[in-house]
Amino acid sequence: MFQIAHDDSGAIVLEGRLDAAQAPRAQAFLDEVTGPCVLDMGRLEYISSAGLGVLLRTHKRLIDGGGLKLVNVNRHIGDIFTFSGFDRLFEIELARDPPPLA
Amino acid sequence: MQQTFGRSINELSRIVAFTDRFFARESIDPEMRYIVDLCVEELFVNMVTYNTETTADIQLEMASLKHGVQVSLTDFDVDRFDPREIAPVNVDAPLEQRAPGGLGLYLVMKMADSIHYEYRDRTSKITFVAERR
Repeated sequence: MFQIAHDDSGAIVLEGRLDAAQAPRAQAFLDEVTGPCVLDMGRLEYISSAGLGVLLRTHKRLIDGGGLKLVNVNRHIGDIFTFSGFDRLFEIELARDPPPLA
Repeated sequence: MQQTFGRSINELSRIVAFTDRFFARESIDPEMRYIVDLCVEELFVNMVTYNTETTADIQLEMASLKHGVQVSLTDFDVDRFDPREIAPVNVDAPLEQRAPGGLGLYLVMKMADSIHYEYRDRTSKITFVAERR
């Protein structure tokens, strides 16, 4: 299950699993974006190389205006960004760890 | 535990469901799930995309190990392709030199703890091990 939509603040919210089967839908949505934007990944559970390709293609298209900013990135996806070198290409904010149980 | 899947990217949802059952049945640490999902998807999609001379299903097998998981993907009636021999990706290149594509198998090589390849009688079998960290 994958969802992509604008929220009330104008950010784009990604939710679920962005795999090779869902990448064309994500690309079609992001192709409509015309300026720099924030992608909220707080509810994104998973991304594969197909999803990375969507982010990279969109970022390059929009870079003259500031590109994409990736926020609320979970630890696993943050690792993928690091392995891919995306941490040096994008502005990325990792999600805060949940507080420890009392 | 094993199952076969058709040569379509739309089979990824069935693969995820299969992996759900395997992790539940074997009580595998959920922390390992991302690595297994990523490696399986990248290898499966690579087979579907590039091994187009066959219509045979792809076989996926998962087994629990003492300290991890062993996963094999077998593709029948195909040419030899050893994923360990792919050209490296320059992940340090600046944005203008980066292009979409080519990261999938690179990520598998980075994230799996070991990878084994067998090719015999036009059958290609890739096995990886992911260890608990």
